Amino acid sequence: MKIEKKLILSNVMYGAFIILIGFFAFQNMNLVLTKLRFVEIADDLNASFLEMRLSEKNYFLYKDKKALAEIRGKIDYTVRTIGEVRDDIIRAIGETDLKKLDSYLKAYSDVIEEARTGSSMDQHLELRLRAEGKKLKEFSDSITHLERRRVNDIILSSKRILMFSFWAILFSALFLGHFISQKILRSLREIEKLAKSISGGNFQKIEVFQSNDELGSVIAAINSMSEELGHREEELIQSKKLASMGILTAGVAHELTNPLNNISMIAQTYAELYDKLSGRDRVELMSKVEEETERIRKIVKNLLDFSKPKDSNPNEADINSVIQKTLTLVQNMIDVSNIETTLHLDHALPHVYVDEHQIQQVLVNLITNAVQAMSSGGRLVISSRRGKSGNSVEIGVADTGKGIPPEFLPHIFDPFFSTKGDAGTGLGLSVSYGIIKNHRGDIRVDSKVGVGTTFTLELPLYKKEEKNR
Amino acid sequence: MNSHKIMVIDDEKIVGDMAKLSLEQEGYQVETFLNAEPALARLKEDKFHVVVTDYKMKGIDGMEVLRTVKKLYPETKVIMITAFANLDAAIEALRGDVHDFFPKPVKIKELKESIRRALNRP
Repeated sequence: MKIEKKLILSNVMYGAFIILIGFFAFQNMNLVLTKLRFVEIADDLNASFLEMRLSEKNYFLYKDKKALAEIRGKIDYTVRTIGEVRDDIIRAIGETDLKKLDSYLKAYSDVIEEARTGSSMDQHLELRLRAEGKKLKEFSDSITHLERRRVNDIILSSKRILMFSFWAILFSALFLGHFISQKILRSLREIEKLAKSISGGNFQKIEVFQSNDELGSVIAAINSMSEELGHREEELIQSKKLASMGILTAGVAHELTNPLNNISMIAQTYAELYDKLSGRDRVELMSKVEEETERIRKIVKNLLDFSKPKDSNPNEADINSVIQKTLTLVQNMIDVSNIETTLHLDHALPHVYVDEHQIQQVLVNLITNAVQAMSSGGRLVISSRRGKSGNSVEIGVADTGKGIPPEFLPHIFDPFFSTKGDAGTGLGLSVSYGIIKNHRGDIRVDSKVGVGTTFTLELPLYKKEEKNR
Repeated sequence: MNSHKIMVIDDEKIVGDMAKLSLEQEGYQVETFLNAEPALARLKEDKFHVVVTDYKMKGIDGMEVLRTVKKLYPETKVIMITAFANLDAAIEALRGDVHDFFPKPVKIKELKESIRRALNRP
């Protein structure tokens, strides 16, 4: 479920809960008010009943009929009062108790009436009068007492419910908050991990926990972005390769001129001197043509291999032969730039585990940069040696060019950073960096303005178990 | 038969070999070199009428050969051939008083014609 929906749902639930509590509290208040009004009425009635009992006592003491008339008056007053607030009383104590009160009042009133109309007061009537009066008073007292207690109970239970609701809301809010923030934090950590792996150049899609909420969508979006970046990087590598092709093609075209010229000159000589050539001479010339065409085939194949888009396909490789093959591509460019090339290759190196074409591409980039940095000639030293750690091979490409200013050094591997103006795309080194990092290798630079620049590549050794990877 | 001496310098062996085969048919004495150092040394020993040199070579290149020859043996004609046919190189060669300038692939007939002209002129 989406987090937004969860939040809305929990808010609605809280709202409903609070309204319910409010409604309940309001109901309780109303009940308390009703009960209190009754208690007020009951106090009033109690006072009347008390007065009746006093008058009753007077009657017994002085045998004065006037006291009975007073009681009669009070009874009438009480009946009237009850009549006026009958509904309120029913609401407070219910119809049964009211009827009971009515009946006690009636019984008392009957006894009073008997006493008033009767000529003399006999023992029996006196006892009944006392008994009925007492019953009435006691019942009234008990009801009043009970109602007071009920009011207390209601207020107490309201208080308890409010306290309970308070804690319930507090704890559930804390729990919900913790749950949601944990969920968000967990997802954010996943996203952070993903972002780090992407910035590390790993565009593999990362499987994360299944989640169909917003964070799940964010992770899915980042995953697809990562995938897209992976495609883009491949495209970038390919487009950079094609850009290098532009430079290489010119050199390679020149490279082709010599064998073509040789074939042409052989053909011309062959035609011109046909009669004067011996059979052996002719065969020798033709075999030279064959050799020259083979030379052309190799140059073209090398260029084609370099240009083909390929998925990274690492294999066991001899780094020195990779360097040599690269040189056939760039030799011409080096030659025309009045640059002297020196190779310091350690021929006892163990094999590396690399994608040959990608490493060739990196070397072409580095050598092209070196050549461009030595516009007025210089020395290019390409070396290979065992890495210091023992489980890698180092390749050095050193030039005696103009060098890179120290303030540019931190940015040279950034995409689109170029000091060559229109001559550079600013992609060569960033693509090279990506390729080397994908090989779990390292690329370093050391440069001094006016002295030269050395790039060092570090590549992992081939291990037997790589085959099964 | 003439006894004009012609030197061909090119790091592509076939260029020298084919030039030699062809030019010897015309009666020229032809010597070929794969790079400039031994060629310049040879010039000290003997007079050559025409030097055909490649423009781009390792070590001493064609331009330097042209300058050296023109300085030490002004009578000797220099014909330059190059795989890198560009205008700058041609202009530079002309300023160095080159006799002729051929882009590769070289037409042997044209080369012969150029040598003939070089020798007919004082």
